[in-house]
Amino acid sequence: MKRYTIDPITRLEGHGKIEIFCDDDGEVINAYFQVPELRGFEKFLEGRPVEEASQIVAKICGVCPGCHHMAAGKATDAVFGVKPTPTAKKLRELFYMAHFVHSHIAHFYALAAPDFVVGPNASPAERNILGVIAKVGTEVGTEVIKQRRIAQEIQALLGGHQTYVVMNTPGGVRKGLTEQQRKDIEEKAKGFVEFAKFSIKLFNDIVLSNKAYVDLILNGPYSLKIYSMGLVDENNKVNFYDGKVRVVDPEGKEHCKYSPEEYRNWIAERVEPYSYLKFPYLKQIGWKGFVEGKDSGVYQATPLGRLNAADGMATPLAQEEYERMYSTLGGKPVHATLAMHWARLIELLYAAERCLELASDKEITSPDIQAELPSKIPGEGVGIVEAQRGTLTHHYWTDENGIITKANLIVGTTNNNAAISMSIKKAAQNIIKKGVTVDEGILNMIEMAFRAYDPCFSCATHSLPGKMPLEVIFKDLDGNVIRKVRRD
Amino acid sequence: MCLSNILVYGIGNEILCDDGIGPKITSELKKSGRFKNVCFETGYLGGLEILDIIQNYKNVIFIDAIKTINGTPGTVYVFKPEDFKETLHLSSIHDISFLTALQLAKKLNLPIPHNVYIIAIEIVEDKIFSETFSPIIQEKFPEIIKNVESIIAHICNNLN
Repeated sequence: MKRYTIDPITRLEGHGKIEIFCDDDGEVINAYFQVPELRGFEKFLEGRPVEEASQIVAKICGVCPGCHHMAAGKATDAVFGVKPTPTAKKLRELFYMAHFVHSHIAHFYALAAPDFVVGPNASPAERNILGVIAKVGTEVGTEVIKQRRIAQEIQALLGGHQTYVVMNTPGGVRKGLTEQQRKDIEEKAKGFVEFAKFSIKLFNDIVLSNKAYVDLILNGPYSLKIYSMGLVDENNKVNFYDGKVRVVDPEGKEHCKYSPEEYRNWIAERVEPYSYLKFPYLKQIGWKGFVEGKDSGVYQATPLGRLNAADGMATPLAQEEYERMYSTLGGKPVHATLAMHWARLIELLYAAERCLELASDKEITSPDIQAELPSKIPGEGVGIVEAQRGTLTHHYWTDENGIITKANLIVGTTNNNAAISMSIKKAAQNIIKKGVTVDEGILNMIEMAFRAYDPCFSCATHSLPGKMPLEVIFKDLDGNVIRKVRRD
Repeated sequence: MCLSNILVYGIGNEILCDDGIGPKITSELKKSGRFKNVCFETGYLGGLEILDIIQNYKNVIFIDAIKTINGTPGTVYVFKPEDFKETLHLSSIHDISFLTALQLAKKLNLPIPHNVYIIAIEIVEDKIFSETFSPIIQEKFPEIIKNVESIIAHICNNLN
């Protein structure tokens, strides 16, 4: 038996790694994905006033502080039994759309596009954002930087800071929007919509016009027939900020649709001895192992999962693209892992359009930004939003003084832990065969299986997929190293 | 608003044990008042985000945490971009690395600092949420501050 380890070079500690076990014929038997998880955050919240939770959780990591802030804000509303005013809700959602715009732009151009624009087998020296810019031109690069910066500025304006977000109060927000600021954001949102349209066109021109890439998406080693999860509005359209969580089975049939406070009826979590990261699964279906199909409780909560779980998009241009994607890929649901990149761009367009809708709504400048707090004694509350990389659940319990006594978080990537592990194994099984030389291209093809999920391990893993230093170690049955492939 | 052309940027997560050493040192240096013509900022951003922050300065000094194999906790390293590989935050899983960001800025003709220094402190614990340092770093913190302060003074003297 051979054992392949894909591991960041150990000069820096604490990275995730992939281990692939092969039999004597070189066929992959199993693959494990191990990640280090930051520990103790739920404990860290205990003993703190619940109204401070949304500010504290924004510091879990620098990647999606806005998502944690929003989920915590909603959980805190629920603890107090208060609903934010319509204006406060719109302001929160406006902030959140800007958060999605900046994050999805970053993932596509910096992390996903290199595989397609430069090519999955290209040298790592070229397969990065610099290589992308070299291919598509510096004007596009300048626009990437500009649109992300603008999205960050909107978040800083509404949230007080782009990462140290202090926006939410129980039942409201701290700061309103002036008419001049609204007009300014409205203009900027128009730019988001144009850039999102351009990004989809770029994907169309470079990826969908290339038969080899379409084959890779549809027929390559990247497909997983599992359940799909996503937050939907009252019309079952994708919604990032509010609504119910809908889950559809691998055939697209609704499995459940639950309110945040019901999540524990539908989701259970398990641990595996080799990973700190938990493995959530659908409770009513049960855990049947790392297997696909309707009888397995494994699900994905990703951009593709969200689109699969919904009946459409709530904005017109995104809806057009939604229909085009499913029509191109053979109907709903889609199980092609690499289609997540397309789904992410459709979400970018939705976020941009929704940002424009909200900024065009003059009610958003109303001074009515804080609901009156009821006299109810605080108790327990759940808040759910869609983070860029999956459904994010915050659940707090408090004492009668509003001090947190217990907290439970299911973060975006955790939902996808089983799916990511399975995608890696499947990719490895299809790519590593007897006689295949495991080189840089092979390593990257395996990385592509998990990169599509835009994973955020513990919200702060300190390495870079796509340019992550990797080492594959081939070992014989006695554990002797017989060959190393290394990428700095 | 700070108008100096020198920025000291402490990078890290202040509630993640030793990971927050960069921001904490930066806050201490700001409080000390020793460096009059220096701007101080903190955050835990990387890659493209950093570009937005540093482009208005001619000189930038990052203070970040680092973990190396067999490194001695509390050791202070100084890098220039040309000899820098990665510290904990100037590499990012969800963004491009700092070096790539600098290369990108050059390619796009964005304003970037003339001089960039990275001061990295060898830490122990960055996986457990805590507002306090690990015992070793806590014990060595006064010495670390002193070392960093002296390095920044040296850099500033050379810049002037």
